Amino acid sequence: MKAKFLMCFALVVGSFFSFPLFAHHGTAAYDTKNVVTVRGTMTEFRFINPHVQLFFDVKNEKGEVEKWQAELTAPNKMTRAGWDKHRLKPGDSITASGYVAKNDAHTMWITKLIGPDGEDLRLRED
Amino acid sequence: MRRGLSYSMLGMVAVLSCSSILYAQTAAPPTDQRKAPAKRESAPAPIHDLTGVWMMHNSPGSQRGFTNYTFTKDPPELTPWGEAKYREAKPSNGGEFTLQTTNDPVLTRCDPPGVPRVYFHPYPFEFVHTPKYTLMLYEYDHMVRRIYTDGRPIPKDPDLLWMGTSVGHWEGDTTLVVDTVGLNDKTWVDRLGHPHSDQLHVIERFRRVNKDHMELDFIIEDSKALAKAWTATWYYELKPTWELGEISCSGDYLDFSNFEK
Repeated sequence: MKAKFLMCFALVVGSFFSFPLFAHHGTAAYDTKNVVTVRGTMTEFRFINPHVQLFFDVKNEKGEVEKWQAELTAPNKMTRAGWDKHRLKPGDSITASGYVAKNDAHTMWITKLIGPDGEDLRLRED
Repeated sequence: MRRGLSYSMLGMVAVLSCSSILYAQTAAPPTDQRKAPAKRESAPAPIHDLTGVWMMHNSPGSQRGFTNYTFTKDPPELTPWGEAKYREAKPSNGGEFTLQTTNDPVLTRCDPPGVPRVYFHPYPFEFVHTPKYTLMLYEYDHMVRRIYTDGRPIPKDPDLLWMGTSVGHWEGDTTLVVDTVGLNDKTWVDRLGHPHSDQLHVIERFRRVNKDHMELDFIIEDSKALAKAWTATWYYELKPTWELGEISCSGDYLDFSNFEK
């Protein structure tokens, strides 16, 4: 397996992660039937209204760097989950799982996130 | 290929880690109401007091499909006028439209959500009582409702407002009944785009069943849009440690370039 590029179709159907993670803008643009996982290196972390944004580089199977953008839920909810604007920083290694845009853009709606210390980061406020 | 089939162990771990959630959600039977969560031990409800931060707390089994977008599994009975208006809606939350194609007034213009749609935003609200009115502070976009409890009647010819005019009274020791009228017709009743007219009358019955739990009955009446009243019950939990933060509908909220690239 190419070490830095992990990607899978999890064998699950439907949006099985609970609704508080869902974005305010709906699901139609995302392929919510399949979960994709990528490992990357953070380049920017924006703890902003209306949704927290992650930007990171992912090396593909050819060794090329792909620029990815992903989002978590709203910062007010992430604050109650224990996050703040310093939770991630450029250079951090992350493994992000979630739904990607149907148009094949490198855009992800994160449903599971492993942080730089290997910690399964809490994404829910309760 | 980016979406190629993978054999990574990570994927398997993800599947295994989600198995309990899958079971919990598929095991729940369909229901026309948001299902009540299991009751937990709690102190009795205080008298005439809803003070605090409350968050929707419906059972996991009910948080699929319709419950995130509308009130009931079965659609409301609309009048011909209501049907025609509903056909104009292009929802993205629960619908097939994207941010680029929806005509959702909240997502495209940051219009205030109105009542009762404000409850579909997945954020808490806070009750603050004063001698003459009760404030409802919604975390979403700093929305505020002022519910007059000084005995004044419901206005018969109200000005049309985004969040309407509300009066409330207590029934017994623990139920606050709120009548709201005077809502303009620019908002949707839910996220699917069910319409309403300026004849909308929303009755909310906040029933605090014990210290930590509250049930909210909605009775939605609109002689122009609804052929019969639309009713539902949602469930809320007191969050003593929570504080309302900020989620603002603003330029960045509408900046589609941040999403769906």
